[in-house]
Amino acid sequence: MPLRLAAPEWSLLVPPLIIVGTIVLLLAIDALVSRPSARLMLGIAIAGHVLALGSLATIDWSRGATTFGASYRADWFALVVALVALVAGLLSVLVSAGYTESGLEPGGIGQAEYLSLLLFSVLGTLIVGAAGDLIVLLLGLETSAVAVYALTAFARRRITSVEGALKYFLLGAFATAILIYGMAWMYGLTGSIVLSDISHTLRTVVTPGQPLDPALLLALLLLTVGLGFKIAAVPFHMWTPDAYQGAPTPVSAYMSVVPKVAGFAAMARILVQGLQPLSERWVDLLAALALVTMVYGNVVAIAQRDLKRMLGYSAIGHTGYMLAGLAAFTTGQPGDRSVGSVLFYLFAYAFMNIGAFGIIAWLQERGLGTTLDDVAGLASRAPLAALMMAIFMLSLMGMPPLLGFYAKYYVILALIEAGQLWLAVAIVVMSAVSAFFYLRVVTRMYFEEPAGTWQPARTPLLGLGLVVMAGVTLALGLVSGPILELAQRWPTALT
Amino acid sequence: MEQLPILSLITYSPLAGAVILFLWANASPRAARWVALVASSISFLLSIGMLIAFDPQRSGMQFTETFEWLPELGIAYRLGVDGISAPLVGLTTLLTLIAVIASWEPIRHRVREYYITLLLLATGMLGVFVSLDLFLFYVFWEIVLIPMALIIGVWGSANRVYAAVKFFLYTLAGSLLMLVGIVALYQEYFQRTGVRTLDVLELAQGHYSQTFQFWAFLAFFLAFAIKVPMWPFHTWLPDAHVEAPTAGSVILAGVLLKMGGYGFLRFNLPLFPDASRAWAPAIVVLSVIAILYGALMALVQRDFKKLVAYSSVSHMGFVTLGIFALNQPGLSGAMVVMLSHGFVTSALFLIVGILYERAHTRELAVFGGLARNMPVFTAFFGLFAFASLGLPGLSGFVGEFLALLGGFRAYRWAGVLGTAVVILAAWYMLRVFQRVALVRAPGEPPDPDDPELRLAAAHGVPPVAGGGDVEHPPLDPRTFPDVNWREALTLAPLALLTVWVGVYPLPVLRMIESTLAALLATVTGTGL
Repeated sequence: MPLRLAAPEWSLLVPPLIIVGTIVLLLAIDALVSRPSARLMLGIAIAGHVLALGSLATIDWSRGATTFGASYRADWFALVVALVALVAGLLSVLVSAGYTESGLEPGGIGQAEYLSLLLFSVLGTLIVGAAGDLIVLLLGLETSAVAVYALTAFARRRITSVEGALKYFLLGAFATAILIYGMAWMYGLTGSIVLSDISHTLRTVVTPGQPLDPALLLALLLLTVGLGFKIAAVPFHMWTPDAYQGAPTPVSAYMSVVPKVAGFAAMARILVQGLQPLSERWVDLLAALALVTMVYGNVVAIAQRDLKRMLGYSAIGHTGYMLAGLAAFTTGQPGDRSVGSVLFYLFAYAFMNIGAFGIIAWLQERGLGTTLDDVAGLASRAPLAALMMAIFMLSLMGMPPLLGFYAKYYVILALIEAGQLWLAVAIVVMSAVSAFFYLRVVTRMYFEEPAGTWQPARTPLLGLGLVVMAGVTLALGLVSGPILELAQRWPTALT
Repeated sequence: MEQLPILSLITYSPLAGAVILFLWANASPRAARWVALVASSISFLLSIGMLIAFDPQRSGMQFTETFEWLPELGIAYRLGVDGISAPLVGLTTLLTLIAVIASWEPIRHRVREYYITLLLLATGMLGVFVSLDLFLFYVFWEIVLIPMALIIGVWGSANRVYAAVKFFLYTLAGSLLMLVGIVALYQEYFQRTGVRTLDVLELAQGHYSQTFQFWAFLAFFLAFAIKVPMWPFHTWLPDAHVEAPTAGSVILAGVLLKMGGYGFLRFNLPLFPDASRAWAPAIVVLSVIAILYGALMALVQRDFKKLVAYSSVSHMGFVTLGIFALNQPGLSGAMVVMLSHGFVTSALFLIVGILYERAHTRELAVFGGLARNMPVFTAFFGLFAFASLGLPGLSGFVGEFLALLGGFRAYRWAGVLGTAVVILAAWYMLRVFQRVALVRAPGEPPDPDDPELRLAAAHGVPPVAGGGDVEHPPLDPRTFPDVNWREALTLAPLALLTVWVGVYPLPVLRMIESTLAALLATVTGTGL
């Protein structure tokens, strides 16, 4: 039989292609122009994101179209993942503005390399969100992850940066190996790498209530462990605090969000779409992981004095909340809020967490460090910056009417509707625990006198980005309806 | 509905003031004060209009406003007031206005930020009282926390940060459990009826199972009990009060504590009537302990403000006693005590603040003999001290009498014990009045014409001066100026209301009566 290659449906690929084009443009300018202006490079990166975001509107996502066989999908889930990844990428570029130019890191940071790696990671996340089979999913996941390993080490003359990157890379590679092993098992058992086919095959062999085939169970465990590393769920989180603290601050901001988006998108694609017939098992597994993750992250964060490290542990805590959201999976029918609540959470998390790291970068540009002592008295020195930081902290804590509250509310709602009341109570208790360390930042900013010296610096882009993030965190909750509604359409995509 | 959205206007006019001040980055302290005064006056005047237009004959919600917010989740923007919330809205706008005036001179640093915070707080509190959607209610409930913690933590006294964080964490822990309760209630109602809603009035129509009521009651109860605060959830209160600036204490005692009592009336009783009846005896026990404990603690305080704070715990015990007596006099009493406590205790905090402005200490032992050089002050102080101890003819008496009557009817022992505690209130209040206004100050030389001294000398007893061991350097209270016009302006309306409600409580009772009767009917199935 002659091999017939079907032409890909290019129209579905416009957003990732725009990102690829932007990367090529950045690298080309860097190679051809002797000293390209930093502003120009930033402008190109921002334009790339904005164009890609705009191009999302050109695709009819409700059709659930696929291309490259069934390997690449353009469905509601892919849309929301792309939206979150691009918004988070754009915010990260804004946060990087100034930091990369300021010479804060020894040896400086190369604009073109930095921005193109960042875009590569966004590209990977877009692919994960749209993946229809295991291979494409893995490709996307690794495109996203490898770029971030390199970004973590970008302050290459600073030992903590290299150390964090090495840890991140080694454990990440390890996780990938486990993940691939799990995928191999799954392929061996079901004879397919296409997620919808896997689901179809499993449905015929798994009967609810019956014990699972040990081989299938092993495959499930391997996949869960591999993905657990990617999203930094306890006990697979060891790399997180060092990587967050060691990386240049805008990179910390970026990696607290976009790789998480990729990780959760992969989790939803594999577990919800591919392994739905096994949901009885993995729901319990995720619920247990969620509990230990949120407890560990929030409790250990209390002891941290370094803000980046504190946010690293708090990110583990937030991973726990999101895992809880996935664990609220029941039927995959419309009305099941599990995946939708996680998508909304990621969206909210992008604004508040990148914002919080952005404030730290902003402080570093003014000659301050990254510890709690450095924010002391910020309110009397820079009232607006302090106010924004307070908004981010309170939102991360889940204080209404800020965006973070709505995110938590939807997860809690999903859990209670799924009958997992205990996990909802755990989220609430852990929110109260997290109040200790988030509030400490606020009290130090507002209730103390400033310490340390203060160098003037001007970075309008970073300032603009921060104001946007704070504004969204403050006000978007009131009109969160449309995004929530979009996120809740996931069942048509994943089932 | 084609009518003026008066409740929104009342709620957001302070917020508008806050936004103006926020955007006006280089507003002078003077300008900030005036903006706050205008904003809170508008809110106050509108609420007076609302109270006048309020129809006391109707038991349902009035001035309702509704529009869709997150329809998919059954969340809507619903406002309305009934006989329970309308007077509390009035109390809130009045005390906000008074707080703005009371802060005029005492607040000297970061004045603009202070008034932004205070106005934000006002909007949060008003939102709590007018929300008829549980989600909206929760949002406002939590909004209140941040500005209050800031007011304590930034503008408070020495130990302010500790007190602010303690206040925040305590109340946050309580309200988070309420959040779970809210979502569980939403889900339970959906399963019963197939309707997704967070409309308080609609949710109250669902007849929930005993087990569900038991747990949901508890989740709501904890949040409100911490806010009231009931013994043993009260420990944040003395710290918060002592460290807060005067206006902060006024708002805290006058309005924030009422949010707890209001929560019981608005949510616990109508939503979970069976559980309310089942839990009532236990809560009455806690209430009696609170009444007794607060009074005993007030008795041993050497710090004036702490004394008033503990007396608050005692007074709020009457509120919970009245509510969970679950009869008509009890409920009416609880409402009147809430209002009266709002006038009287807030005024007592203003009194403490006035003394503090002059002496820079609140240690009772350093004061004395103020009646001579501060007659106006003493008159106000006396009035509020008597109202606080429950003298007939003043507002405290009406409420406590009704609450105790209700307690007596429901649980004889609770009524008897509660009544006995009133004696303690007289003891500590009269003692502090005597100490501050009447007896000789420690730094003051003895008056040779004092008949008491002559008598003591004749019997060979050493002359008695006030105080005992005084840690504060001696100061002469005779040099203190009397209250100025601005201070008098804050006290006068409260004095008027105290007397008016004490002498002629009928309008207030009439306003709350029909709503409470309807509420009682849902809880006990009997009505008045």
